[in-house]
Amino acid sequence: MTTLDHAKVSESRPNPPKSLITKLNMGTGMIVGIVFAEVTYFWGKSMWDRQEAVMENRILTLSMFAWCIGFLIGIGAFIGPFRWLIGKDLTDEEQLFLAGKGQGVSRYFRYCTDHKVVGIQYLVGVMVMLGAGGTMAMMIRTNLITPGSKWVNAEIYNSLVGLHGITMIVAMIIVSTGPFGNFILPIMIGARDMAFPRLNALSWWLLFTAIPVLCSAWFFGGIPTGWTAYAPLSVQAGAGMNAFIVTIIIFAISSAIAGANITTTVVAMRAKGMKWNRVPIFVIGATMSVALAIPAFPSFMASQMMAGFDRTIGTHFYDAEFGGSGWLYAHLFWIMGHPEVYVILIPGVAILMEIAPVFARSPLFSYTTAVVGFAGIVGLSVLVWAHHMYISGWMPSLNGPFMVTTEMISIPTGLLFLVLLGTIWRGRPWMKLPMLGVYALIWNFLIGGITGIYLSDVPADDYLHGSMFVTAHFHYTLMGAALTGAIAGLAYWFPKMTGRMLDERSGYISFWTVQIGFQVLFLGMFAAGSQGQPRRVADYEQAFATSDLISTIGAYLVGIGMIVLLYSVVHSWRKGKIAPMNPWGAKTLEWTVPYPIYLENFHEAPVVTSDPYGYGRSEK
Amino acid sequence: MSDQHEVTDLAPTPGERFRNAFNSRDVKITMVFGVIITAFFVLLGLWFYPKFMPEIMSENMKRGKDVIVYFTVISAPIAGLVIAVALYTLLNRHHGENPPEEGASFRTHTPIVFAWTVVSAIFCIVAIVWGLTEMNVNSEDATANAKSALVVEVTGSQWVWTFNYPELGVQSEQLNLPLDRAVEFRVHSVDVNHSFWPVQLGVKVDANDRVTTLAHTTPNVLGTIDIKCAELCGLYHAYMETQGKVMKEADFNNWVTAQGGHVA
Ligand SMILES: [Cu+2]
Ligand SMILES: [Cu+2]
Repeated sequence: MTTLDHAKVSESRPNPPKSLITKLNMGTGMIVGIVFAEVTYFWGKSMWDRQEAVMENRILTLSMFAWCIGFLIGIGAFIGPFRWLIGKDLTDEEQLFLAGKGQGVSRYFRYCTDHKVVGIQYLVGVMVMLGAGGTMAMMIRTNLITPGSKWVNAEIYNSLVGLHGITMIVAMIIVSTGPFGNFILPIMIGARDMAFPRLNALSWWLLFTAIPVLCSAWFFGGIPTGWTAYAPLSVQAGAGMNAFIVTIIIFAISSAIAGANITTTVVAMRAKGMKWNRVPIFVIGATMSVALAIPAFPSFMASQMMAGFDRTIGTHFYDAEFGGSGWLYAHLFWIMGHPEVYVILIPGVAILMEIAPVFARSPLFSYTTAVVGFAGIVGLSVLVWAHHMYISGWMPSLNGPFMVTTEMISIPTGLLFLVLLGTIWRGRPWMKLPMLGVYALIWNFLIGGITGIYLSDVPADDYLHGSMFVTAHFHYTLMGAALTGAIAGLAYWFPKMTGRMLDERSGYISFWTVQIGFQVLFLGMFAAGSQGQPRRVADYEQAFATSDLISTIGAYLVGIGMIVLLYSVVHSWRKGKIAPMNPWGAKTLEWTVPYPIYLENFHEAPVVTSDPYGYGRSEK
Repeated sequence: MSDQHEVTDLAPTPGERFRNAFNSRDVKITMVFGVIITAFFVLLGLWFYPKFMPEIMSENMKRGKDVIVYFTVISAPIAGLVIAVALYTLLNRHHGENPPEEGASFRTHTPIVFAWTVVSAIFCIVAIVWGLTEMNVNSEDATANAKSALVVEVTGSQWVWTFNYPELGVQSEQLNLPLDRAVEFRVHSVDVNHSFWPVQLGVKVDANDRVTTLAHTTPNVLGTIDIKCAELCGLYHAYMETQGKVMKEADFNNWVTAQGGHVA
């Protein structure tokens, strides 16, 4: 097999078909999108030229949707469906062209249906979003470096908080299932592509159209509501809020498509012999995550559509003066919001469960326990949303039941720890970059979990709710656990996705700087929260000065570490050491294909005879 | 007879296996780590929250803080065990370019999975029962004092709090409360959502437009209360704060009279 390593597979360059499809790419998409948006804008202006906020919101919202539709038309997303309408379909040559056969780099800028291309598109997109969100985090912490710093004014500060929040949440939802769920997952299960390759391209390019929309918020007065966008504040907010609403609606559609696609692929396209108990645990985790997103995100979409109606056509869903209710918003939001936490967390943990056996050279400890743990979390996570509303006054008599369901999540969560610990126990952990993530997760997730138990407790939450303590807690779970898992996954699969090894030295430097900075940052924030500093404040009193200064110093360390990581990724991608086919000696299917990976992944369909965790001394 | 003897030689009884497991070097070292880390977390919990949380001026605040401290203490052994296992494996770590030799090969261990689940379920039940009990005590206090409670209407508006004492005919931007008398805060907003947070009293409730929400407590220490808004409410959210005072009843009555109110 090793002779196949880095064999340059000469795929013959077919003559491109004579078709409109070959002329379309990201550039034509943007041109058509901008034209659509402009036309809609001026048409709207001519229709409703009154200087009312409702009209302005209506025009902007429609223009943003027009951009999105125009872009998709311009990039050729609707050519296939249009052909169906007239009773035809794409020709074989056109389909091969869409799959990116023999097109080099240009396929990354097209409506490409190859899951590997989509995976790389997601990876780059996520990195851009994390970079933007991280920069905003640095600005937030800079403003909080001393009381009364007034580095930015309250208006800009509030916008930063909202944009940082929503950018990071969107990025974190796709950070693992986007790049690895698309690139690696189909190969892991021995499939030739995703179940619905065109929908795969659609999910990415839909998400792409949301990015400029979200950025535009900055120019329309920002998102001054935090990422939760509570009504009626969001109804009162300026034009930037429209961008938030449109972004969420597009994102909900994109993630529903991606979720249906990944779920179908895993259910229907596994290699021969890959029974459910032989499916790699990352595949299980990613599937559960996207499957949980399918019921959760429509609720978010509905909440934003109603906010959009309130803002653009004058309905009163959230307006108490006319019989609406802000609690309605809170419910719709958190019915998405709590499951969403686990949509983010589960793939990160699952990646580390994939990594731990490889580097400890021990089987995954109790595969069934891992699956039960994930399933338990998924099941319970839809029953806990009102723990975000203990102090809302909505229905204090239900606080008890919600406290019970919330604290029950600690049982399946504990099982995940058992699986990781059982896997590394009595192993000889190979301290490569991906393995460091396992240890970082154990520490961070433990802190995030224990502080989560305080917050789930009503008498304690009476004090801690809405304070910096909450912010610190969920950063421990989302960043300390889920992002750590995603970065470990990047280090682990980098050789398969780029053909090169991720540079170790800069990787280690980045890992330690980020993790140490992270502890400092959020230890300071736990202290500030305990002292009684509310979250999302542009300014604070002298009493919190030391805690906040410590937080800011930690934040800068995280920032430096992340820049080193970015350098490491960019440098390694261009000039890194060429990777062997299976650098870690892993047993999942993606390590059996050479780089560059063939268009359809496998020359011969693989047959699976056991689960991929057959490590250990006494095993055959 | 001799048959049986041989069998026990080959296959130790569950009790022996249990004892043997604890005699192994791995387990001993891990347990030492575990004890040290547990102690660390216990001390951290006992030190951190009392150090950073503000003065306790009501039973509600005390209960909230106790929950946080005691939960830290009872979760310390779990944290200790988890981190000890992770640390112990690091003692055997392997560096280098090639994978290490194969590790242990157990795929699962039913008694451990079972024990782990039972222990975490017990921990979970303790946390739930504790929380429900404290919550009930809070609400029983509230009901018991419902009749005698001083009513304070709290209005949140962008970006000030105003306090109205309907029984006393006083309206103020400063919250003054008499010592050891139960209060009922009736909270609402005239615009967006706010969250009324008298920090040292350990209660908090959202202020919603056209809805009245309630919070109950009894201030039992003289001193200053920081009043903040805990829900992002627009531009000057950070500055939506004021101070309050818990004062002796006589002082409170004097203040009421000075404000033009009538002492009940
Ligand atoms: Cu939640
Ligand atoms: Cu407020």
